[in-house]
Amino acid sequence: MPYKVSNEKLTLREQAYLPEMIRGLGVTARHFLRNLFTRRDPAPEILDREGPCQITTVQYPEEKVEYPPGYRGLHRLVPREDGSPRCVACYMCATVCPAQCIYIEAGEYPADDPSAPNRVIERYPTKFVIDELRCIVCGFCVEACPKDAIRMDTGLHAVSSEERRAFMLEREALLRGPAVEHPSDPWRKREDSSAPEHGEKEAHRRISPRKNGG
Amino acid sequence: MRLRWGMILLVFVGLPALLFGLSAGFYALAALAEGLFTGGAGVVNVFTLLLVMVMVFSALLTLAERKWSAAMQDRIGPNRANLGPLRLGGLFHFVADALKMLFKEDFTPAGADKWLFRLAPALAFIPVFCLFAVVPVAPPVELFGETVSLQIANPDFGVLYVFAFASLAVFGTALAGWASNNKLALLGGVRATSQMISYEVALGLSLVGAIAAFSALTPAGGSSLRLEQMVESQSTWLWGGGGGFDFGVPAWGILLQPLGFVLFFAAAFAETKRAPFDMPEGESEIVGYFVEYSGMRFGLFMISEFVEIVVLSGVIASVFFGGYHLPFGEAWLQGHLGDFWFAALQGSVFWLKVIVLAWLQLAIRWTFPRFRYDQVQKLGWRILLPAGLFNVFATAALVLLDPSLRLLALFGLAQIALLVYLVGSGGKPAPAAPDERPVAVSDHDGVSA
Amino acid sequence: MPDDTKPRQPPEPQPRSVPPRPRVKLTIDDREVEVDAGTNLLEAARAIGVQIPHYCYHPRLSITASCRMCLVEASNSPKPVPACQMPATECLVVQTRSALVKEAQRATLEFLLLNHPVDCAVCDQAGECKLQDYYQEHDAQPSRLAGPKIQKEKRRVLGPLVTLDQERCILCTRCVRFMCEVAGEPQLGVFGRGSHEAIDTFPDKPLDSNYAGNTVDLCPVGALTNSDFRFTARAFFLTATPSVCTGCARGCSVWLDHFNGETYRYRPRENVAVNGPWMCDVGRLSYKPLVHDRALEVKIGRAGEGRTAEGREAARFAIEKLKPLAGSERLAFVASPTASVEDLLATFRLASEGLKLKRVFVSGRAADKGDRLLLREDRNPNRLGLDWVAQAFGLKVEPFERLVEEIDAERVKGVLAVGEDVPTDPKLVASLLLNLDPVIVLATNLGPVAGMGHVLLPSCPCSEDDGTFVNFEGHAQRFVAAYRTRGQSRPHWTWAATLLEELGVEVGWRSARDVFAELAPRVAQLAGFDWASAPGYLTHPRGLRTLPAAADARHGIHRERS
Repeated sequence: MPYKVSNEKLTLREQAYLPEMIRGLGVTARHFLRNLFTRRDPAPEILDREGPCQITTVQYPEEKVEYPPGYRGLHRLVPREDGSPRCVACYMCATVCPAQCIYIEAGEYPADDPSAPNRVIERYPTKFVIDELRCIVCGFCVEACPKDAIRMDTGLHAVSSEERRAFMLEREALLRGPAVEHPSDPWRKREDSSAPEHGEKEAHRRISPRKNGG
Repeated sequence: MRLRWGMILLVFVGLPALLFGLSAGFYALAALAEGLFTGGAGVVNVFTLLLVMVMVFSALLTLAERKWSAAMQDRIGPNRANLGPLRLGGLFHFVADALKMLFKEDFTPAGADKWLFRLAPALAFIPVFCLFAVVPVAPPVELFGETVSLQIANPDFGVLYVFAFASLAVFGTALAGWASNNKLALLGGVRATSQMISYEVALGLSLVGAIAAFSALTPAGGSSLRLEQMVESQSTWLWGGGGGFDFGVPAWGILLQPLGFVLFFAAAFAETKRAPFDMPEGESEIVGYFVEYSGMRFGLFMISEFVEIVVLSGVIASVFFGGYHLPFGEAWLQGHLGDFWFAALQGSVFWLKVIVLAWLQLAIRWTFPRFRYDQVQKLGWRILLPAGLFNVFATAALVLLDPSLRLLALFGLAQIALLVYLVGSGGKPAPAAPDERPVAVSDHDGVSA
Repeated sequence: MPDDTKPRQPPEPQPRSVPPRPRVKLTIDDREVEVDAGTNLLEAARAIGVQIPHYCYHPRLSITASCRMCLVEASNSPKPVPACQMPATECLVVQTRSALVKEAQRATLEFLLLNHPVDCAVCDQAGECKLQDYYQEHDAQPSRLAGPKIQKEKRRVLGPLVTLDQERCILCTRCVRFMCEVAGEPQLGVFGRGSHEAIDTFPDKPLDSNYAGNTVDLCPVGALTNSDFRFTARAFFLTATPSVCTGCARGCSVWLDHFNGETYRYRPRENVAVNGPWMCDVGRLSYKPLVHDRALEVKIGRAGEGRTAEGREAARFAIEKLKPLAGSERLAFVASPTASVEDLLATFRLASEGLKLKRVFVSGRAADKGDRLLLREDRNPNRLGLDWVAQAFGLKVEPFERLVEEIDAERVKGVLAVGEDVPTDPKLVASLLLNLDPVIVLATNLGPVAGMGHVLLPSCPCSEDDGTFVNFEGHAQRFVAAYRTRGQSRPHWTWAATLLEELGVEVGWRSARDVFAELAPRVAQLAGFDWASAPGYLTHPRGLRTLPAAADARHGIHRERS
């Protein structure tokens, strides 16, 4: 809190030093006694302590402060409902990444394989590696992603390991968390990449304001 | 309000009970040893009082400094060291500290004077440790047919002994600074030396008043320099006393010599070289005379600082706060408890006084900013010394005027009243009202508590 | 279009037999410009550095004015007119940035994007896409389409090299016109009508022309994609380096697009004298040997029993084996016309002056079918250069068949081969080499012939060193190193220098330029060729480097040079 510095002359009483010393001691003594004899409020919201105990320390591993909604934790690759990654290997995250910690290799779902997870978007990452040691947790990759396929909403941080290799998170390790689908996702609009049967009629319906007045 | 009942019980019941038990045990040990051979009590007292009480107190003070300062600053302090599941709020941190010190590399810098370099920590530690020898912890009492007291030595020159050994400690500091072959260490050593010299005078002068005052209460043939005699003198009543439960105004040094107390406390504090008088250490500028020390050699410097706190508290308690005496009900308690148990009670009273005074010293350290070096010297020479001289003359005059010391006590009470008035008439509002919680404004979400 | 930073020149002058056209003066954006009569407004504007956005127009193709992106205001018309179709006339006043034109461009673009799937994340064209560029420049507003978009086929495999996404197509018909007018194989057409129009092949007739790859370059959007390049790299990561296609004796000028020390694709680089703005699919795929099966380790001993070694040690070993045969007819010097002029200069010096040989046997790739447009039957990029260099060093050029005969007749005992390409079956050649000792091979790629070497010295191809190729017409063309040499591979000339030093001949070459400067004066035919005075884009600029425009006149984009 900023306050005005005043260089007023000390009064005689203040110059005596001793009374002011004792008053100062009183402040520390008051804090000491309150903190010594009353129970610490373990609520992790450190800004809002209850009771006379004023200790604001958070005992970290046992108590954790709830992260704000925008907290950037460990990355995850967001899955679709069918478990495949939403990622289409567009390299936007790898391009924007200032630490160059993202490595992607793109692949193509085979056109004639009906078991391929989704044939509407034929492109997918065969390899998606994040070097968490190089990552500077800036969140640019999340911002850059056009498909909502990479998020930092795991709330995980301070992931530890004893070998560097463990921080090279591969696609399998990154693909986690709840699935996310949007109404605008292409696979909700069509079966596969071929032209739909009655596409013409559907397309013409949008011209009629009576049926589709959106 | 959610009170920590465990802590309250520990402080107000557990601690006195523990000290009471320890004092009784020490008496018993001393008496048994005295039964074996003459002077055995003194030997046992060296072990019980010096090696057990003072050393354990000092070691615990290293932890207390961290925990208490944490409480003063709204923190928790170290609480992680543990023995398996046993944490005890971080009690074992002093063990961890000691182990760390012991196992660290003991490094001697190239170009250092090896002999002096190794001698210095011992020279710093031993005199401080020896100081406690003359401090009376509990009165003499008859036990198992032997008269024993919890005091290692009881020489006639008790106060002079304190002055002499307190001054010796500076040799360790100065030698450490010199032998390290390090200009910063040397600076620290020189600062320590000059600071010691400045405050030595004020230290001695501040007690002259007390000695003069207590001489009036000393029976003929006794020595008012003897510390035990000083403690005994303070058990006399100035006003009141007597009756079933005796109650009144005792002749405590703090009442007779409030100015002398302040002067002695300030001067002695400067001798301990702790903040706000930590010029020789000067952590933020020169690191200090022990900059080249590591491991347990540094540990000796550090522990000697805490031993000094304990010893200083003991001396102050003896001279100004009635030593092992309670300010009320002594005769009544003695009648009900019997001599031995009453003496043990007095021993625990002494240690409680030491704890409170040690806390006061730590609180001072964590409350006040450091002095500048010129301010340290100015305080010593231009304030403490003249005030000490004034105190000597005023005390002497009042003792001569009224050998019953009531006039002196009135003068002292007037001083205390003036101080209380000055403290109470602080022009500015108190820094933080008790119910005022710290206001934190977060500009992140606009929520303020 | 060689360089986007300079103002564009009008298209090539017509053949000499046609009398020069009259010149006309017109005003474009308040600036006067004089062009040949009949030049369209788009080119006229380009002459003074005014860029008019366009999709369907291409200087080498007929004009359809179907995209309407190049609408401008002209003083001879009450409505905006397409600049690509409007000829320049005297006293014409053209506005390319008026409010009307801007609104016309914006509206056109909105219309073109109406049914566009906006799957830039998936699209290979992202980064070099005219829709992206023009959207930022001229539209920059969100879609106002309320209902669903028209859905077409997303992945239509048109032929071996081309995959079509009909949804992304804006129907500029560049590809259709190219196949008709340039390739002469009309394999593409526009089918359907209205908003359901789509590019497609005729039933059961795949797009299998040897020039189909050019339609990918021509496509201003991401509709046509190269099946070989598809999804392997993003265009904005690639750096383009001017190079020369090694697929045939034509030596088409190309951009070698590379990233991280690996070549990803060739794109044609306009060179009027050699290939125009096109290249064939055979050449387009000829980058693969630069990446795959590369010889990257120095080997002593034949395949299976060899060991890796240091280059100097291997050279010493090779010279020890070659020395006894020096100057004798029993040592055959074999050179491949796939090596650059500099490599040949250095190795021929080694052969003629170091080893005192009199003949050179020419290996190289076997001839294959050519076509009428670009592809030559001779699949070696530097045969003429080899002939010139051999002449300069006084070596007699012998065909490869002669070598086979001599080996059969056991007149040849050892072989020093520059390049591992052979015109016949490599396994057959390997079996011939089996009985010879020594066989020293300088090879870029692994294979049966390279495996026969008692010493294998790995060489690097044109992507990793500077050099020159001479095509069948005698055009000497420079190519530029794109990235560092891989593994232990070094240019042929470096190995030649090492071998010469082991023979006791000191050479001070530190780069291909040094080799050329010292030895090219011996080649009379190269007298007019200044190695260092290659066009400006052949030198390495420092700092930011533009990706030069491709054959479809796309803008370059900026990126840092890797």
